Amino acid sequence: MYGTILDCEYLSTRIHVTLNIVYRGVAMPLPEFFQFHSPTRVVYGAGLARDISTECSSLGATKYFIVSDRTIHEAGLVKPVIEGLSTDGIDISGTFFDVTQDSELAIVTEVANRARESGAEGLIAIGGGSVIDTAKGANIVFSEGGDLVEDYSGTGTLTRPLKPFVVIPTTAGTGSECTLAAVIYDRENKTKLSFTDRYLLPSIAVLDPEMTLTLPPALTASTGMDALTHAIEASVGIDASPLSDILAFGAIELIFKNLVTAVTDANDIEARGAMLIAANMAGIAFSHSMVGCVHAMAHTVGAHFRVPHGVANAILLPHGMEYNIEEGKEKFAKMAPLMGVATAGLSMDDGAKGAIEAVRNLTSQLNGLGILPIRLRDAGVPSEALPHIADMSIEDGSSFYNPREMAAEDLLVHLKNAY
Amino acid sequence: MGLFKDSKTFEEVLGGFFGLVGETPEVAERLLASNLVIRFTYTDPDVVLVVDCSGDQIKVIPGDTDMKAAVNMWMSSDTAHKFWFGKVNLTAALTRGQIKAKGPIPKILKLLPAIKPTYAMYPRYLDEYGFGEYKIY
Repeated sequence: MYGTILDCEYLSTRIHVTLNIVYRGVAMPLPEFFQFHSPTRVVYGAGLARDISTECSSLGATKYFIVSDRTIHEAGLVKPVIEGLSTDGIDISGTFFDVTQDSELAIVTEVANRARESGAEGLIAIGGGSVIDTAKGANIVFSEGGDLVEDYSGTGTLTRPLKPFVVIPTTAGTGSECTLAAVIYDRENKTKLSFTDRYLLPSIAVLDPEMTLTLPPALTASTGMDALTHAIEASVGIDASPLSDILAFGAIELIFKNLVTAVTDANDIEARGAMLIAANMAGIAFSHSMVGCVHAMAHTVGAHFRVPHGVANAILLPHGMEYNIEEGKEKFAKMAPLMGVATAGLSMDDGAKGAIEAVRNLTSQLNGLGILPIRLRDAGVPSEALPHIADMSIEDGSSFYNPREMAAEDLLVHLKNAY
Repeated sequence: MGLFKDSKTFEEVLGGFFGLVGETPEVAERLLASNLVIRFTYTDPDVVLVVDCSGDQIKVIPGDTDMKAAVNMWMSSDTAHKFWFGKVNLTAALTRGQIKAKGPIPKILKLLPAIKPTYAMYPRYLDEYGFGEYKIY
């Protein structure tokens, strides 16, 4: 069924519909500049991860090193991939299953060294955001040598394509399989290092909904809300473009139609597939137009109170939309019908409010299933920390891309509402 | 061939301007709050300027390639010149590869609102300090 969802006819209809939704009759200025660069080959299909030798050999490599984590390995998700590749003549030169919850500098270096020592010609990452970011960082050192921090942290530091890199996501959230960034934690210096480069983009993204079937309901919900936050923030960010909008709006529609089903019926392969595609679309969108105040706040509560990223985004998303309602009004109003809001006869103001209400309803629905907190206090954040969270959030890198300039005192009002 | 005839001229123009920015309290306070040391490496003509915001006042050090800088930025001298007129979108320039940067880029982006007032200062500075021929944007 979803094998056809990405065909040309569907996409051209989608683009036509979305452009009309966003731009017809609306005096929405075009951006002064934008670039759209998404060279990652995306392949989709249920069961496809067991049969990717054609894709792997098309990259000119026949020896791959596999990167994953213990949970994924023990869930039995890696073995069929290896078996499929080995049967078809692709050599697995080594494996690494000890990726930690945050991508860590020491682990990245170890993966790069082990891959090089094994004689690998390319990397395959199987996992969620941490595994993928770890493999992205490792591919830099594996391909180019040198020191990851001294030589490559920053923007545009790479000068040529890296070694073949195949990604099989096992969550439908980060979209990291198609983004040009990686965040690596430097435990020794207690800092997060960012790497942004077009050469970090994976060569191939394999979207196989069967690889997400073991994802528990709570993680399905929080990662799905992460993807929704990517899409909504990408559409209103200062670097949004008509092309990133198409993907963001498409993702929003798919998430509203499929997230609750994917949570309540873990084996619904169509809902799982739609969520995987939505996360991918949202990932491509925010890889171009970035994210804003919701992520800035989520990064802060995540760093200080260990609130999982998707949970923090889910709690803060409607409040971040409230914060941006003036600047994001048109986009919010235009996305409302994609969220199931009946907008006929509504003013733009009411349409925008309808979109925020739809997000609240979605998180309330997931909260009603007992798998997602919708208040900061329920996620372990103390009330006395809110002013500090507001102060730290405006220092976060995402704050630069928010459509409304972020001020701590204004943000605090919304953090209190989220509490 | 770049707009500036030689490295000495460009170093005088931009180094002098950075010095002026460092003496402008409304901008300097916010730059000092970043605590960053930034090395700018310009090409055509070639100039290196280190802007040290880690102390009580902003120091501009020409030609220093040894000092450890948290952020390193590379661009043509012409791109830098145009930037100070407020005519270069930094995120777009990074995306297009006109400017390359190593280090914590979000910290640099956060400084953009702080330096906004300097875009109006730059053409006035060129006039007042005898560099009016370069007031082209």
